[in-house]
Amino acid sequence: MSKPLLIGAVAYTPNVVPIWEGFRDYFADGPVETDFVLFSNYGRQVDALLDGVVDIAWNTNLAWVRTVLQTDGKCRALAMRDNDLAFQTVFAARAGSGFADLSDLRGRRVALGSRDSAQAAILPVQYLREAGLGDDEVELVRLDSDLGKHGDTGRSELDAIRVLLDEDADAVALGANTWKALAADELMSDALEAFWTSPEYCHCNFTALETLDPDVYEPWVEHLLAMSWDDPELRPLMELEGLERKWVRPDLDGYASLFKAVEDQRIPARW
Amino acid sequence: MVSGGILLDLVERVGGAVVGSIVEVPVAGADPAVIERWCERSGHRLLSVEGGTARILRGPVPDDEAILSSVPADRRPGARLWIYTNFDCNLACDYCCAKSSPQTERRAIGPELIERLVEEGVSSGVSEVFLTGGEPFLLPDLDQIVSACVKRAPTTLLTNGMLFRGRRLELLRSMPREGLALQISLDSATPDLHDRHRGRGTWQRALDGIRTAVAEGFRVRVAATVAADESGAAESAAFHRLLDEVRIDRDDQVIRPIAQRGFAEDGVALTVESLIPEVTVTADGVFWHPVAADHEDQLVTRDLFPLGDAIEEVQRRFADYRRETDAAAQRFTCA
Ligand code: SF4
Repeated sequence: MSKPLLIGAVAYTPNVVPIWEGFRDYFADGPVETDFVLFSNYGRQVDALLDGVVDIAWNTNLAWVRTVLQTDGKCRALAMRDNDLAFQTVFAARAGSGFADLSDLRGRRVALGSRDSAQAAILPVQYLREAGLGDDEVELVRLDSDLGKHGDTGRSELDAIRVLLDEDADAVALGANTWKALAADELMSDALEAFWTSPEYCHCNFTALETLDPDVYEPWVEHLLAMSWDDPELRPLMELEGLERKWVRPDLDGYASLFKAVEDQRIPARW
Repeated sequence: MVSGGILLDLVERVGGAVVGSIVEVPVAGADPAVIERWCERSGHRLLSVEGGTARILRGPVPDDEAILSSVPADRRPGARLWIYTNFDCNLACDYCCAKSSPQTERRAIGPELIERLVEEGVSSGVSEVFLTGGEPFLLPDLDQIVSACVKRAPTTLLTNGMLFRGRRLELLRSMPREGLALQISLDSATPDLHDRHRGRGTWQRALDGIRTAVAEGFRVRVAATVAADESGAAESAAFHRLLDEVRIDRDDQVIRPIAQRGFAEDGVALTVESLIPEVTVTADGVFWHPVAADHEDQLVTRDLFPLGDAIEEVQRRFADYRRETDAAAQRFTCA
C-alpha cells in the first residue's frame, strides 16, 4: 500500500505520543504501514473518521456508540484491549457511610465525572435509575473537568472524590481504572469505601468504517493481536496503553448498556 | 495511611506526567511507606522523599531486560569480554589508555585463569573475546592463551605488530587462523603522525608487521587512533588507500578518536555513564570498559570469579544509568 493506514487518537496525556510512535514503529515491521494523527477531542476524531481523514479511530465506548448512530451501523469494531471487555463503574462513599446498595442513595448527593464519561456519568445515571431512583430523588453534582475527552484523563473523577472528601457529596461514581490507580482499596481504606460495583461492559475499541478493505484491516488486526507482553521492548508500550496483557477481538454485546443509556438519557448522536 | 488528598495529587500529577520524567509532588506529613507502596502498585519508582517533597520517576519503568534488549545484540553489555593479558609493552605511546611502557609492571593474568574466565564468560552470554594489553606478544605463553580462547569464542588479539621476528614469529605462526583476528594499530597513512605519538620508526615496523600477518594468512583488522583535528577527509582517504594496498578488507579498516584516559591529555571525556560497558578483566579486577582498565572509578569488582556475577552487576548498573539519563534527557527536550 502506498499510503500508510492512518489511526486517529485523542491526546488526553502527553504519553499518547510515545504510545503511538511505538505503534508506528511496531507496524513498520508488519504487513501494513501505519501512522497516526492526534485530536483534541473525540468529536473531532469521529468527524475525521466519517470524512475519511483517518482510516481507524481509537474510540472510547461513547465515541463508538456515536459512530454507530451517525453511520446507521455502517462501521466495524476491529479490536480492543483485554480489559476493555470487562470495564466497570464503582460507587464509593466516605468510609463508615454504611451504604450497602444504590437504593441507599435516595435523597443523597452523588458526585459524577464529566458528563461525556460513560464510566463516571452516563452509566452511573443509568444504574441509579435501574435501582429505582427517580431523577428528582438523587442530587447529582457534576464535575465536567475534561469535557471532550470522555473521562480519559480521570481528572473529573479525582475532582469528584475531592468533593466527596470535602463532604460536599455523599457518594461518587468513577471508573474501576481510576479506583485502581488510587490503590484506594489498600491505601485509602480509612477514607473511602466502594459499596457497589457495576456489571462489566466494554470500553474502547479500534473503529473503522464499513468501507475499509478487509485485505487491509485483517492483516493489521492480526499484527496487532500478535503484540506480545513477553517482548521486553513492546511491554512498556502495552503497559502505557493500559492493557492487562493482550489485544483481543471485540465483543459488541458489551456495549448494549451504553446504547440503552444514550437512548434513555437522550444523549445526542453528534456533539 | 495518608490523607486521601495526597493520593489524589499523586494520581493527578504523576499520572499526567510524561513517562520517564521525574515528578515532584508536595507530600508534607505523608507516610513515605504509603507513597512507596502506591508507586509500586502503579509501576512508578519513588526516588526520594525530602523536605516534604516526593520525587517520583513516572512509569512504566522499563526493567533491566527491556533496557538491555534496546542495545544491538553484539554491543549488549556482557556480549564482549575484554581481557588485559598483561600491562607491559615494548612501546610507550603518549595516549596509551593502559599507561603501558617497557617499565610498566607485567601484571599478567596467565593462561589458566584466562581459560576459566572465557569458559565462565561464555556460559554467561559472552559471544566475543578481545585480548589486549600492554603488548600480548611479550608473553611466552600467548599461544596457549589464544588457543584456549579461540576454542570457546571468536577472538580478537590486539597487538602493535612490531615483534613478529624469531621466537615471536614462531609464536604467531602456531596460532589458529580460524576464529582469530589480529588487530594492529596504525595511526596514519604516513609515518609522521604515528611516530609522533608512538616513537620514531614505529610506523614502518607496524606496517611490516601487518604485511607479515597478512602473508601468514591471518585476518588482520587495522585500527587508527586519530585526534579530532587530524581525522580530516584527506587523511582518512590516504589511510584507506594504503590499507587497500596491503590487502586489508574495508570492513577491517577502523578509524576512531582518542579517548581522554590514561596518558592522553586532550580527547573525548568518557565517564561510566557515557560508555556502553564492555566487561573488561585485568589482573587487578573487573572494569566497566577497556579504555579505563586502569581507573578506580571504573572498577566493578576486585573479584575475577565468578565472572557471571560481575557481568550481571555491569548489566544492572548500565540499566540504572540508562533509566537515569533517559529521565534527565526529558528535562532538556526543548533546549
Ligand atoms: S598503546 Fe598499545 S602499543 Fe602503545 S604503549 Fe599502549 S599498549 Fe603499548
